[in-house]
Amino acid sequence: MLESFVHVCLAGLSKGMFIWLVASGLTLIFGVLGVLNFAHGSFYMLGAYFCFSLLSHLGHNFWLGLILGPLFVCLVGYVVERYFLRYVYHIDLPYQLLLTFAFVLIFDDLVKVVWGAGSIGSPSVAGLSGSVRILGRLFPSYSLFIILVGPLVALGLWGLLEKTWAGRIIRAASSDREMASALGVRVPALFTAVFVFGTWLGAVGGGLAVPYVGLLTPGMGESIIIDAFVVAVIGGLGSLKGAFLGALIIGLLSSFGTRFLPTFDMFLTFILMAIVLLWRPQGFFGEEAAR
Amino acid sequence: MSEPLLRVENLSKAFGKVVTANGLNFELKAGELTSIIGPNGAGKSTLINVLSGSLSADGGRIFFEGQDITQLPIHRRVQRGLCRSFQVVNVFPHLSVFQNVEIPVLAVARRAHHFFRPVGGEAEVADMVRAVLERVGLAGQAQTPASALSHGDQRLLEVGIALAARPKLLFLDEPTAGMNPVERVDILQNIRRLSASGETTFVIVEHDMDVVFSLSDRVMVLHRGGLICDGPPDHVKGDGQVRECYLGEEVR
Amino acid sequence: MSRAGVYLIYGLAALALVAIGLFAGRFVLYLTMRVMLLAIFALGYNLLLGRTGLLSFGHGALYAAGAYGLGLFNLHVSHDPLLGLLVGVAFAALIALIIGFFCVRQTEIYFAMLTLAFGMMFFSLIWNLREVTGGDDGLIGISRAPLLGLPIGRDYQFYFLVLACFALAVWVIHRIRGSAFGLVLAGIRENHQRTSFAGIPVKNYRLAAFVVSGAFAGLAGSLATLLESNANPFSAHWSHSAEPVLVSLMGGLQTFSGPLVGSVIFVVLREVIERFTENWMLWFGVILLAIIMGLRGGVMGGLEKRLGRARAARPGGAS
Repeated sequence: MLESFVHVCLAGLSKGMFIWLVASGLTLIFGVLGVLNFAHGSFYMLGAYFCFSLLSHLGHNFWLGLILGPLFVCLVGYVVERYFLRYVYHIDLPYQLLLTFAFVLIFDDLVKVVWGAGSIGSPSVAGLSGSVRILGRLFPSYSLFIILVGPLVALGLWGLLEKTWAGRIIRAASSDREMASALGVRVPALFTAVFVFGTWLGAVGGGLAVPYVGLLTPGMGESIIIDAFVVAVIGGLGSLKGAFLGALIIGLLSSFGTRFLPTFDMFLTFILMAIVLLWRPQGFFGEEAAR
Repeated sequence: MSEPLLRVENLSKAFGKVVTANGLNFELKAGELTSIIGPNGAGKSTLINVLSGSLSADGGRIFFEGQDITQLPIHRRVQRGLCRSFQVVNVFPHLSVFQNVEIPVLAVARRAHHFFRPVGGEAEVADMVRAVLERVGLAGQAQTPASALSHGDQRLLEVGIALAARPKLLFLDEPTAGMNPVERVDILQNIRRLSASGETTFVIVEHDMDVVFSLSDRVMVLHRGGLICDGPPDHVKGDGQVRECYLGEEVR
Repeated sequence: MSRAGVYLIYGLAALALVAIGLFAGRFVLYLTMRVMLLAIFALGYNLLLGRTGLLSFGHGALYAAGAYGLGLFNLHVSHDPLLGLLVGVAFAALIALIIGFFCVRQTEIYFAMLTLAFGMMFFSLIWNLREVTGGDDGLIGISRAPLLGLPIGRDYQFYFLVLACFALAVWVIHRIRGSAFGLVLAGIRENHQRTSFAGIPVKNYRLAAFVVSGAFAGLAGSLATLLESNANPFSAHWSHSAEPVLVSLMGGLQTFSGPLVGSVIFVVLREVIERFTENWMLWFGVILLAIIMGLRGGVMGGLEKRLGRARAARPGGAS
């Protein structure tokens, strides 16, 4: 019983950390730009596919692929922000959401055109492909690795935002656009930079997912973006700390749900989201919502 | 008059440590044109927001015509006859002037829920709308989109929308803000005339002391969430404490 | 365009639709029915989005409520199509009432996220309660029994039921938009705070708009189930809610005819693109981008501007 409990926890943690990797970029972009980006899941998907391709061309060096792949996606993110999103910040919410939704449609089909509509099996990573024995049962070491990466990313983001000059500017711009602009911050350039950085986070999440999910499918971005939305909402839209804890909650909830209440695991996730939106629309960590 | 129009008992409201209403007690009599003044941050806007229902009170009670309305939502207060206008222009920008006034009129006439009859067919409503537009002097621009009006006319429309709800008590939040002097004289005459007609009791929040002292029957001075002076204009003018709290403040 | 001109266009369109029903081949017949179903869905949806200013991701679930309401009634209770449609619409309206009761407490992005959450709850129930809903297979084998003695089994017969429902929907939604209630909804979109201060219980009106638009989504869903003789679980998915948004947006959010025109463009474009490529979503995304970046206001909005019809000049000029 205990072993099973621990393993379900570990599975939940690794799933949660994946959602966190995607939700962190989503949250950062929402916090600063005020745009809820449907296409963020597409960046995750593109990250995965780019990494996969590089992996096949670079003689199976996963880490090199993980560094280079997301950079390509950053280029895509740059184009999306600089030439499209920038022009819709001032218009109504439906248009903003739909613009990013248009990119979801485009990227989903582009992936089908380039990589084919079917699923692609992904290779395992040398050194992390084995399993570790925990309490008498095997647990994939790559999942353990992911459980470690999640908090590292969180720590890195915290350091970046709280301890660096760039982070101070980002925080200033997110709390008051006009004021930051008046103080000489080039807000449009900053927005582009934050968007590209958020894109990079999503793409790295996708790259890391390559060995984890086993199969790459053109719809993989859409399923994770909804999880990321749920997490971002539960934590409080725009709050990174909230998104991290929200991801843990959703990861564990879904892991336990799948194990003990398989009929209702999806239902549980969304009912939690609805309850939070009704009870505390600013999220569990709403006091940080301005960030 | 036995029962005052509005009675406020021990009303308090604070945002964190900032107390914006500190156990206020007062009454408003029907037909008495009252002004609320005070330096910036005195709690004037908060008071209006709490009385009209935008904010909930932390403590105390509000009675309108003898009935407790402390917990009522905005639209119920409006239905009972307590309404407000806004400091910034707050109209329906893409609707015509006529439609702007039509919405509150439909609510008053209890026709707003008619979902199948063409709204143009509500003849009584149209008459009531035209009457309101006449009163505020916008009858000639009935079909203009509100966003195309001049700033002064938008302020008039603002008052028109509030009046269309047939309020017994109407709070006007800085009705002359951003107006040019001509418009200002116009709207003040309007308010005086409407007040004299007796249908609506006006309470005005103002910065402009000329406006306050020329118009009001009664002046209430707020300072740091408390009522420091209350009485006819001449009494307030001579009050030492009032001078003191305005000292150093820009008296516009 | 004059009022008479508008009536003329609607009259011609009605004639054309009847003519299609009488003379067109199966393919055109089917396509026209899909256009009308989408138009019912989008017209109802736009009452919420274009009129009241609320973006819902939960209307897929309401469409599915109509589809499964009719489907389950058809399979287990009675084959009567009229009763089935009534049950489908009533069930969709009921679900809309329940979902809406909670959702209208929030606005803007929080409303959108709430409708997403409730819609996906409904989807997860359809997906997982296999014994009742058939899970990922959906409901199959739904039959079209005669309606009041008239056979509707063949597509050219069923077409006229769809046409009748479509005409009814167009007429009812047009009346609603032109009513006092419709004006109040526009007021809520423009300035909900001010609408409260006009003495209107804003939440109740939002809820009413949500239920009405949900009922039309249910009508579209029930009819689609009769047309295809099955109910599909993916119709409840949030992404299906994007369809009426796209349609309204293409045609023009702020016009009555926008969703109608948008539905025609959507269905026809999809057919045409699918002739040439499998990747119609890609082209669809590109078109959507172009619309948002360039042609805001949609086709009908653009046309209206061209024709120089200033909004306020229209009788009862609200958009």
